[in-house]
Amino acid sequence: MIPKGRERGWAFVLLVPTLLGLALGTLGSIAATVGISFFDWDLFTPPEWVGLQNYIDLPGDRKFNTSLINTLIFSAIYVPGTVLLSLLIAVLLNRHIVGKSLFRLFFFLPVVSSPTAVGLVWSWIYAKDQGALNGIITSIGLDPVYWLGRDMALYSVVIVNIWGAVGEGMIIFLAGLQAIPRNVYEAATLDGAGRFSLFIWITLPLLIPSIFFQVILSTINAFQAFDYVYILTQIQGGGSSVPTLVFNMYREGFNNFRMGNASAQAVVLTLMIMALTIVYARLQKRWGQ
Amino acid sequence: MKHLIAAASLATLATAAHADTELTYMMWGDPPEIAVWEQVVADFHAAHPDITVKVEVANWDSYWDKLRVQTAGGDAPDVFAMDGPIYPDWQSRGTLLNLQPFIDADPSALAGVYDGPLQTYKLADGYYGLPRDFQTIVMYYNKPMFDAAGIPYPDASWTTDDFRAAAAALTIDTDGDGNIDQWGVSTEAWDMEPFWGPLVYGFGGEIISADETTTLLTQGAARDAFAFIDGMINVDGSIMSDEDLESYGYDGFLAGVAAMVFSGHWVVPAYSELPFEWGVAPFPQGPAGRATLVNSAGIVASSTTEHPAEAWEFIKYVLSDEGQSTLAALGFAIPVSKAAATGPAYLDQPSPADHALFVAALDYAHSKPSFRGYEEWASAVGDNLAMVWRGEMSLDEAYEEIDATADATLGN
Repeated sequence: MIPKGRERGWAFVLLVPTLLGLALGTLGSIAATVGISFFDWDLFTPPEWVGLQNYIDLPGDRKFNTSLINTLIFSAIYVPGTVLLSLLIAVLLNRHIVGKSLFRLFFFLPVVSSPTAVGLVWSWIYAKDQGALNGIITSIGLDPVYWLGRDMALYSVVIVNIWGAVGEGMIIFLAGLQAIPRNVYEAATLDGAGRFSLFIWITLPLLIPSIFFQVILSTINAFQAFDYVYILTQIQGGGSSVPTLVFNMYREGFNNFRMGNASAQAVVLTLMIMALTIVYARLQKRWGQ
Repeated sequence: MKHLIAAASLATLATAAHADTELTYMMWGDPPEIAVWEQVVADFHAAHPDITVKVEVANWDSYWDKLRVQTAGGDAPDVFAMDGPIYPDWQSRGTLLNLQPFIDADPSALAGVYDGPLQTYKLADGYYGLPRDFQTIVMYYNKPMFDAAGIPYPDASWTTDDFRAAAAALTIDTDGDGNIDQWGVSTEAWDMEPFWGPLVYGFGGEIISADETTTLLTQGAARDAFAFIDGMINVDGSIMSDEDLESYGYDGFLAGVAAMVFSGHWVVPAYSELPFEWGVAPFPQGPAGRATLVNSAGIVASSTTEHPAEAWEFIKYVLSDEGQSTLAALGFAIPVSKAAATGPAYLDQPSPADHALFVAALDYAHSKPSFRGYEEWASAVGDNLAMVWRGEMSLDEAYEEIDATADATLGN
């Protein structure tokens, strides 16, 4: 289907708007972020070249370290949580059960809902004194829990993020499951494999590409966690009880006007995601197929 | 030399026939404020037919975002509103026009202006902005709640101990369902201006060193003030928590569930609509005497404006007795012009408050600290205090955290 001759020219002309958007919008902002990370810039005064100073400062930056630790804990719960839960739901909803489509719809709904609106609902569920969850807990005679307090907020927010992401994972796994040929199962059943063996020896190995894909996507999402963190954990001074990397970056850049510092953090974040993705890709090569 | 050049350019600008000039004035505000400012602008146009001022208004939060984006993009409004605490920060980034040459050429422009608010805008090399109005923090109290509890109304004799005892007595579960539904105090306790700033000074503490390099609020008598607040919040439970505040629109006094609130004059128009009687009293005296904070909103011109002379004319008019009297009628703020603040335009407002008390507070008020890096510093301090008031951090832990982070933001 590669166009030829005059058509090729036209194809190029028609692609120009998209290519320009890509070059200026995506590649341009990546280049700008990397560039700005070598400067001291507050948006108003002319940027001042500082070389690697923004990077050198990062290991000693308390706020950066706190948010890095928060992000790592967040990811360590979020990635396995999302992958396992969405796999489980996909397997369950891949059978012939009544109301299958309705269940799929329910699990997918959070994905298409606005995090801002849904976040407000969650903040009501989690509220300390007038919250829905604590209402249930106190009605059975237990002490209320400070769900969005310093000790619990990270877990409370991870739960919301997992809840918001399983729908997407479910779709990917459902597609993967439906791509497995039926005759493989039939052959195994003839050989006497039970349901559990079928899952372990047939379903899982054939789903490995989907699982890796989902692990990579979840990792990226975990490192970029921002919207629910912003809505649920913001405290009155403007900070967060569990600042994540992106939250910290946002504050550094847009509240404190350290664009260079924020850009350096963005570059480090990108490199971390890139490194993890490479590790995953290696693992997949070794284990896959 | 700089002044000479500026004065010279001023002279040429003044002699050149003013072509019709349009200035943009951007400010934060609510609809009633827009109407009054339109009046100011119309009066100004009547006196200066060759200058038209266009007023642009945004609410407080979006105002600062908008201003930053426009300024960073080289498209700043000619004249705009400024807040005292962050004025040095804006100035240090080269965004503001130096007004000193204009003032040198016309010193009478500042003659009738209160010195306190002026000091906020005076920097080492002169004024890059001028106060537009000011706010002193006082106490508002709900009379029916005090009557019901049999507590005499607060007056100038009140100490912080009287205040704490009354607040505890006014925190009541009125319907007996086990939940508090009337609190002694509504205040955003993490914020310096309405509450902890005046208390720190009243207890004899300091907030920041005079050279603006060291945070002092974690030391000495300031700690007594924070221990006092901690006791009210975490022991007495007489100050509304942030969750309570959120469910009552951040002002429990306005919602009729809190007996006292500390605030500036800006709430008077809204409180005038309240269905109950209320009064104002000075901030209670601390162990080291009476103190409060004064903050001054200002008016500045952009360093990139093409019409500096016209911008100055407008600023001068806003500060004049006439401009200030028009603004006083709005009822939000206190005029910086002595004539306007002691005249009928301010004192004889229809709203039922002791308006003179706000002006008298200038005698014992400290200026709200202002320095480069203010916002970052305020969140380094406020984030940790908010954690203490939520009962999630001890004061000692907060002091440690503030000591470790706050100074690094100063002058940054």
